[in-house]
Amino acid sequence: MKIIYSDALIVGGGLAGLRSAIATKEKGLDTIVISMVPVKRSHSVAAQGGMQAALANSVMGEGDNEDVHFADTVKGSDWGCDQEVARMFVATAPKAIRELANWGVPWSRISAGERTVIMNGQKEIIQESQDAHGLINARDFGGTKKWRTCYTSDATGHTMLYAVANEALRRNVIIHDRKEAISIIHDEKKAIGVIARDLVNGELIAYVAKGTMIATGGYGRIYKQSTNAIICKGIGTAIALETGIATLGNMEAVQFHPTPIVPSAILLTEGCRGDGGVLRDKDGYRFMPDYEPEKKELASRDVVSRRMIQHIRAGKGVPSPYGEHLWLDISILGRKHIEKNLRDVQDIAKTFNGIDPADEGSKGWMPVLPMQHYSMGGVRTKPTGESTTLDGLFAAGEAACWDLHGFNRLGGNSVSEAVVSGMIVGEHFATYCKERNLNANTSVISKFMQKQSDYLNEILAYNGKENIFDIKDEMRSIMQEEVGIFRNEEGLQRAVKRLEELLIMTKQINVKSKIRGNNPELNEAYRVPKMLKIALCVAKGALERRESRGAHYREDYIKRDDLNWLKRTITRWEAPEATTPTISYEELDIAKMELPPAFRGYGRKDSIIEHPQSMERTQEIEAFKATHPDMDRFELQEQLMPFELPLDYKKKNQRIGAEYA
Amino acid sequence: MQKNHLIELLTQKDNRKKKSKIPARLDFLQSATGAVLVLFIMFHLLFESSILLGKDAMYALTKAFELDFVFKGGEPLFIAFLAFGVFVVFILHALLAMRKFPSSYREYSAYRLHAKMIQHEDTSLWFIQITTGFMMFFLGSIHLYTMMTQPDKIGPFASADRIYSDTMWPMYLLLLVSVVLHASVGLYRLIIKWGWFEREKSKWMIKAATIFYLGIGLVSLGVYMKIGYEHRGEYGKRYTVEANK
Amino acid sequence: MHRVYEDGGREIVLTIFRHNPNDEDSIPHFQDYPIIERPGMTLYIALTQIYTSMDHDVSFDFVCRAGICGSCAMVVNGKPRLACRTLTSEFSEGKITLLPLPTFQHIKDLSVDTGTFMNAMTKRVEGWIVNNSPQDISTIEKPIDPELSDEIFELDRCIECGICLASCATKVMRPNFVGAVGLNRVARFSLDPHDSRSDEEFYELIGDDDGIFGCMSFMGCQDHCPKHLPLQKQIAYMRNKMVKVR
Repeated sequence: MKIIYSDALIVGGGLAGLRSAIATKEKGLDTIVISMVPVKRSHSVAAQGGMQAALANSVMGEGDNEDVHFADTVKGSDWGCDQEVARMFVATAPKAIRELANWGVPWSRISAGERTVIMNGQKEIIQESQDAHGLINARDFGGTKKWRTCYTSDATGHTMLYAVANEALRRNVIIHDRKEAISIIHDEKKAIGVIARDLVNGELIAYVAKGTMIATGGYGRIYKQSTNAIICKGIGTAIALETGIATLGNMEAVQFHPTPIVPSAILLTEGCRGDGGVLRDKDGYRFMPDYEPEKKELASRDVVSRRMIQHIRAGKGVPSPYGEHLWLDISILGRKHIEKNLRDVQDIAKTFNGIDPADEGSKGWMPVLPMQHYSMGGVRTKPTGESTTLDGLFAAGEAACWDLHGFNRLGGNSVSEAVVSGMIVGEHFATYCKERNLNANTSVISKFMQKQSDYLNEILAYNGKENIFDIKDEMRSIMQEEVGIFRNEEGLQRAVKRLEELLIMTKQINVKSKIRGNNPELNEAYRVPKMLKIALCVAKGALERRESRGAHYREDYIKRDDLNWLKRTITRWEAPEATTPTISYEELDIAKMELPPAFRGYGRKDSIIEHPQSMERTQEIEAFKATHPDMDRFELQEQLMPFELPLDYKKKNQRIGAEYA
Repeated sequence: MQKNHLIELLTQKDNRKKKSKIPARLDFLQSATGAVLVLFIMFHLLFESSILLGKDAMYALTKAFELDFVFKGGEPLFIAFLAFGVFVVFILHALLAMRKFPSSYREYSAYRLHAKMIQHEDTSLWFIQITTGFMMFFLGSIHLYTMMTQPDKIGPFASADRIYSDTMWPMYLLLLVSVVLHASVGLYRLIIKWGWFEREKSKWMIKAATIFYLGIGLVSLGVYMKIGYEHRGEYGKRYTVEANK
Repeated sequence: MHRVYEDGGREIVLTIFRHNPNDEDSIPHFQDYPIIERPGMTLYIALTQIYTSMDHDVSFDFVCRAGICGSCAMVVNGKPRLACRTLTSEFSEGKITLLPLPTFQHIKDLSVDTGTFMNAMTKRVEGWIVNNSPQDISTIEKPIDPELSDEIFELDRCIECGICLASCATKVMRPNFVGAVGLNRVARFSLDPHDSRSDEEFYELIGDDDGIFGCMSFMGCQDHCPKHLPLQKQIAYMRNKMVKVR
């Protein structure tokens, strides 16, 4: 039995995992990161548009601060998020971006003087101050009050991941790539590592550590059409679920991005619209202002995606061999802007569609359609990142539900969350590992090892007629059609039923090659059941949640129901042989909210079932503010909703003009 | 001192844990000697092609190199000095360039298979560079040795006799092709290596220059052959301007 | 030669190198897979189709499938390139031969180990910011000239796909050569005002014949780089700097 010991074990080598690894190394802990792919191939690399942090350097970000970013994030989440976590996040994000600058991210910088931008389809001239010259620039993104999304052209995730990965290598973080965690080792009370499979030779390895972190990203690949990398199968989330102890939160909260390109499902960044690009229908008509007069193309992603599908359903879609789609027009931004700031977009459109988006007029329009993009749900954790139910198991980034995004994530908050959670959760994780001794019973390890070994042999011994690839395809189609942008009772019931059947069918397959070594079909055979369990959590959570909130939209319950549904869905897989998850709920307490539920400012105004407490809390807050006119925003905030941060992350952030105010 | 060398043997760094600067010097010298040789050969080929303008022109030029404007009748020893100088640079360049030669069959075959697979012009050109370089070890040495030992035997008839009657023409033909190709590819590499000029334009100009030099070189060789053939009966007899009038 | 089908799709043949070096019984060979080409078909789509419907045992690496992550570099009809960005329609003969990327440890079929080399390369050239002055991340960041920042970004776009190494005759002959990926990395950090290292310090990392002086200017790197990085310019820039170090 091969056992590899370390102080801190991190599963997943994207931004969250690697930043956490830096935190554990900082405390002198022996740290191993295991990853299915070389870490710089992780899906963080694909984030194009940018990272939100309230730096307020640009004139278009003037007046921005933690409070504004906080409000945008909470509204974006449709009040589904944990506001305490959102506060922790917005206070740390400016520090994260400045730390990344020190580690070499070549953020796009501001040039003092005049600059032409496109706003609302029109050219406008803005004037950047001399003080801001050389400071980090920001662009506009959906659902934000200020221009807050910092970027490096449209390869932001790439430069961020490389900076963090290089820093991790500098600090001698040990990286084992092409290793897939397939089970979490635990002794019923706490997690002590994982069983991983070496994807090169099939060998099973027990990685044992004082603490274990899951940072494996999202589960988008359970959908037929997803912008996610093909490794985003939710395996890390699934193995947490399979412990039967750890729980998952808000799995039905799945984001659809408005502008992946058709048919290759490759994302075209929100920066396209942020920089001034517009959506057009089959008549070339810009339709978003009709639906969303205020934010137009830059309403939150859930709203824009729904409006697009609504418009297609109204007969305005562009017919194509791949089904109907709409157009994204960035040609109005001009060739120079596109070739500098949206180069990857141009490259993608040229390579995969033969379209040069800088070509003027309809020639440069790119076919787009909303597709799965982000998983708000994940391993349910406390604000420290530790599982609420399984000690020693931490989760960070997209894999986690600590819960920053609620039911919809704002563009630019994903990579931002990944790094910030790596800083905060990474620090808590490091403290956890530092304070504990390695107390791993070898008999527990060997039991888990044996179980996985037996399981793989069992799969190879299956002698049924089903085909794992067909099962996977059907799952992805079901998710696409029944658990997509528009959901309803009937469809969701069908989905849950069929997904259960599919899960049973995964034991009726026949893997052709019977070797335990490098065997791609075997990989599918143990991954698909895990993906199906995740899919079932999503579908069942969606079925039970009889309201519409953020990205979760029920055609039969179109209102956001704060009265009955201001709660977080918690799923658990109680027994290994179960075919469906158990669902429970965690209430969100309005009385503790800094920002009580209200209208988001975009989407349908008349579609909220209000909770009486919302008004009470609003009045309470107003009254408190009125009676404490001497308090600055930090003191007020502290009184309304105190939160804690490790290290000096709570320190006030300096800004030009405003200093530390 | 001795011990410091041992430190370098064991750690590849000196006693202050610093890397040797020799590789930098060698790299620079390889380029510098190459550049000198390219310049030399460009003029050399032009000068020897003066035969195309007539025997008088060639004769006058030869005499000018023998500094006949200083010493009456010219002094061939200067040619020998010049040849010796070039020989030193040539040997130095060869030594330095050898560092980059394929040093084993494994390296050689890896290169050949790779070049065959990738079908990439700049990669394939290296085969020309190493084969012509290798050939010049011998051909260049022979030629330079002749020039150092018989500097007086240059002239319309003397050169033609050597080429034709002494059957040196196969050597000169091979040397001409080798030297022009080697210098062209080498010059192109220099431009790329140090980032002197824009690549595509340089490549185009060097191709044109290669054709030009090969052209004048071959035609000149032909002319020397013709003169040598016609002069075979009077082998050894030297050219004089008066006699030819 | 190819048949034309009613839906307009022609038959194309993918010839794939098959071998599992971890399996003693595996013998390296080529295997043909005839498939019907669809409009806009990339090698990602073609290989996925072969894997899911013809041969469940064929191995290859894709992650982002959009030319961003650098996983899928392989040799396509002799040229190292990113498979996900390669359209099958580019090959008028309809015959496509695929090899794993040379110069890397072979895993199986079209899959190679780039992670081990790239991480080691990063450590070898110390491809990270070195700056020992204390930094307070709650204060305003250091201003950087906007054009310089763009210039650094330009070099930071390298995706470590390995194509520059597989296209490099020097690397093929001399496995210790650090390659364009490493030299570009050093050039990138030497430009960065956040990095406090001097040319003398960079010399310690790349000042030998396995580093900057090993490059023989074959240009395979630049001519095959899927990101069109100005590698020649960077290598020349570093070479000029490094020969001046005393």
